Amino acid sequence: MGIDKETFNSFDLVGKDLSNRGYNSSHAGNLSMKSSGKVIITRRSAMLGWLQPEDLVEIDLEEEDAHSGLIASTESNVHRNIYKLTDAMAIVHAHAPAITALSMIEDEITCIDGEGMLLYKKIPVVECDVPVGSYEVAEKVAPALQNYPAVVVRAHGVFAKGITLEDALGVLTGVEQAADIIYRVKLLKQPLKRDYSKEKGFTNW
Amino acid sequence: MKGVFNKIISINLTDKTHQLIEIEDEIYEKFLGGRGLGVKLFTERVHPKTDPFSPENKLIFTTGPVTGTSVSTSGRMSLVTKSPLTRTIFYSNTGGMFGFSMKRCGIDGLIISGRADKPCFIVVDGKNGVTIKDASFLWGLNTEETYSKLKEMEGDRTHTLEIGPAGENMVKIASIMNDAERAFGRGGVGAVFGSKNLKAIVVKNGKQKTEIQNPELLKCYSKSALDKQKALPVTRAAFPLFGTAGVLHVTNNLGMLPIRNFQYGQHEKAHQTGGEAIRKEIFVKSEACYGCTIRCGRLTKAGNMKGKGPEYESVWALGANCEIFDLIKISQANYWCNMLGIDTISMGVTISCAMELQEKGVFPHKEVEFGNEDILIDLVKKTAYKQGIGIELAEGSKRLAEKYGDAETAIQVKGLEIPAYDPRGAMGHALGYATSNRGGCHLTGYMAAMEIFNAPKRIPRFTISGKPDLLVLKQNQSAVEDSLVNCKFSGYALGFDFHARFMSAITGLDFNVTKLLKIGERIYNLERVFNIAAGFSNADDKLPERFKKVAFKEGLSKNRVVPIDEMLEGYYKVRDWDENGIPKKRKLEELGIDFL
Repeated sequence: MGIDKETFNSFDLVGKDLSNRGYNSSHAGNLSMKSSGKVIITRRSAMLGWLQPEDLVEIDLEEEDAHSGLIASTESNVHRNIYKLTDAMAIVHAHAPAITALSMIEDEITCIDGEGMLLYKKIPVVECDVPVGSYEVAEKVAPALQNYPAVVVRAHGVFAKGITLEDALGVLTGVEQAADIIYRVKLLKQPLKRDYSKEKGFTNW
Repeated sequence: MKGVFNKIISINLTDKTHQLIEIEDEIYEKFLGGRGLGVKLFTERVHPKTDPFSPENKLIFTTGPVTGTSVSTSGRMSLVTKSPLTRTIFYSNTGGMFGFSMKRCGIDGLIISGRADKPCFIVVDGKNGVTIKDASFLWGLNTEETYSKLKEMEGDRTHTLEIGPAGENMVKIASIMNDAERAFGRGGVGAVFGSKNLKAIVVKNGKQKTEIQNPELLKCYSKSALDKQKALPVTRAAFPLFGTAGVLHVTNNLGMLPIRNFQYGQHEKAHQTGGEAIRKEIFVKSEACYGCTIRCGRLTKAGNMKGKGPEYESVWALGANCEIFDLIKISQANYWCNMLGIDTISMGVTISCAMELQEKGVFPHKEVEFGNEDILIDLVKKTAYKQGIGIELAEGSKRLAEKYGDAETAIQVKGLEIPAYDPRGAMGHALGYATSNRGGCHLTGYMAAMEIFNAPKRIPRFTISGKPDLLVLKQNQSAVEDSLVNCKFSGYALGFDFHARFMSAITGLDFNVTKLLKIGERIYNLERVFNIAAGFSNADDKLPERFKKVAFKEGLSKNRVVPIDEMLEGYYKVRDWDENGIPKKRKLEELGIDFL
């Protein structure tokens, strides 16, 4: 069925939003979605804030192909493995600053604000020797996304899954917002008046 | 496995015997329970070419690991049989209290086969086991009368499945009612009951509970699920206040509420029959299935009659789709369908098909015209009793339209009438109708939830790209929900990961989203290969021509037709089926299916 205009518009919209938020440097981050048994993914070093139609490439879902090796995103193997092992229909990856910072001091991030508790509760953190693009990232990120909508690779950034790109963007910005609140609360250096996460048994989540 | 009893009772009505069958853990791990377990047991025991009305056809009623637990909306159960309407394998499910009560009797399900020599009913007693009793005194009674008699006879705390005259007369759109108020509605499953001379099933005196591996963890997950239901307006307010009929305002505004047998997409009078009008004019109180906090059911009083509903699909099928907007008469026709045991969707769409045939001058009953509300109840009664014009209506819309030489007037897929979302208003939903294993069904993939109600996520409704992939995901998810068994409405609030969490806490086994989806895929493919062996092919994955060729001229869904062939090609690829829609050998091997 190819890459139609509506599909490109979705990539363009999500890419611009990420860029406007300052979550990535100009040529970083990547986006993909499943389509008729293939994966449409952004090109390596594409400028997400300034995507052109040729910045989207179709790669095989099952195995490495010429495109994925030559021009597709550095993280294409991570995306592919996520699609193989989870219910993801679209993936957004960005280096969102607050959650990436927290990933360096936490083994998992437990939400403490109302929205974060309702939607995510916990965001797992995975650690890799080579935290960008390696097979190790692919092997560790995908299983973690089986029961969670987003996962952080320590010192690297977030992979968020969704039904659509817009949905995955919603997850990514949502977990970053939740992390930002934790970050700010930590700056206040005051105990929480009420820690809902403990009341609701999130340690079991 | 924890969460289930590993026991099914098999009842043969021909020789009035029954036996306990042990089900191995491995079956539950591969098929969960509910629809999955039913499909597994059915396909092992019934030949695909079996006549649905023969004694060899079976009715398999099952619960699942989640049924009757602390999980909200877990009061559902499943039925699998071969449909006399579609001649496909047919899965159906119902809420209420029966499933929970059957499970309390220490069993996960019932397999019913054979044919009794005279009317009978089955009693499953948690204390005294199974008995088959004479139902001569019940034969001919409507479902409410049957329910009342059985309660009087078997005790007030019993729950029942029963058919009305439509099932007895083997009307191909007959339903099985549940405590006379909820239904295994679609596919003519009530006629299969009737073909076996089976009037009712009673469950009572169940006191057994399944073991839960981690009750505290399940409580935590259930509480989180309830928090989500309380937060989301659909489950917190819209369904509790307005019932499912609240949906009518949305589809009408979007120009995809089928009017005049799917000839138009909206009508200025439609709101007179929606959830708000029901609340204002005929509402008595809201009601819930076992363990459900959404409470979408409603007791209503229309004129001198009282009853349950009407649900969205019913108020539309018997109303707007026939260009009828008298809420009292529509509601009364709905009550009569329930009392006589008829599927409201198929009844309404068969009537609207007859109305269009009459409009075209090929159906010789002048009074059967769009907008004539005075004939509704009469047509329902004649259908149930197979009298006069009802003899033809009792066959469903496909056979009716074929008889009059205009097959395209029947708005159906595989013989099952399409429900209340016009395919031209939601492309993924349209593809779902074409590829559903039981025919024109909105719940097998329920893409409308995402395309129309943004639940749990929003996707654009007219986009084609990516829709086959999303539909396959939704169909596999739905197969899992039907197997746990959990209500589709839980999906408005909960992510699919909740089901994996529930299952892990209940069984102690390691379930995750991926594992569940693989099970859903296994169930879907097994149903598909059964249908192929029954004689179905890609030629049956089609929509009526008007959806491909005729666009609405007005409204928010205007100028759209469904590019079904293009989407089907993508769908078969995503499913790993060949171009004829047959699952590839490698796919079946991967899923452990050796059916063909």
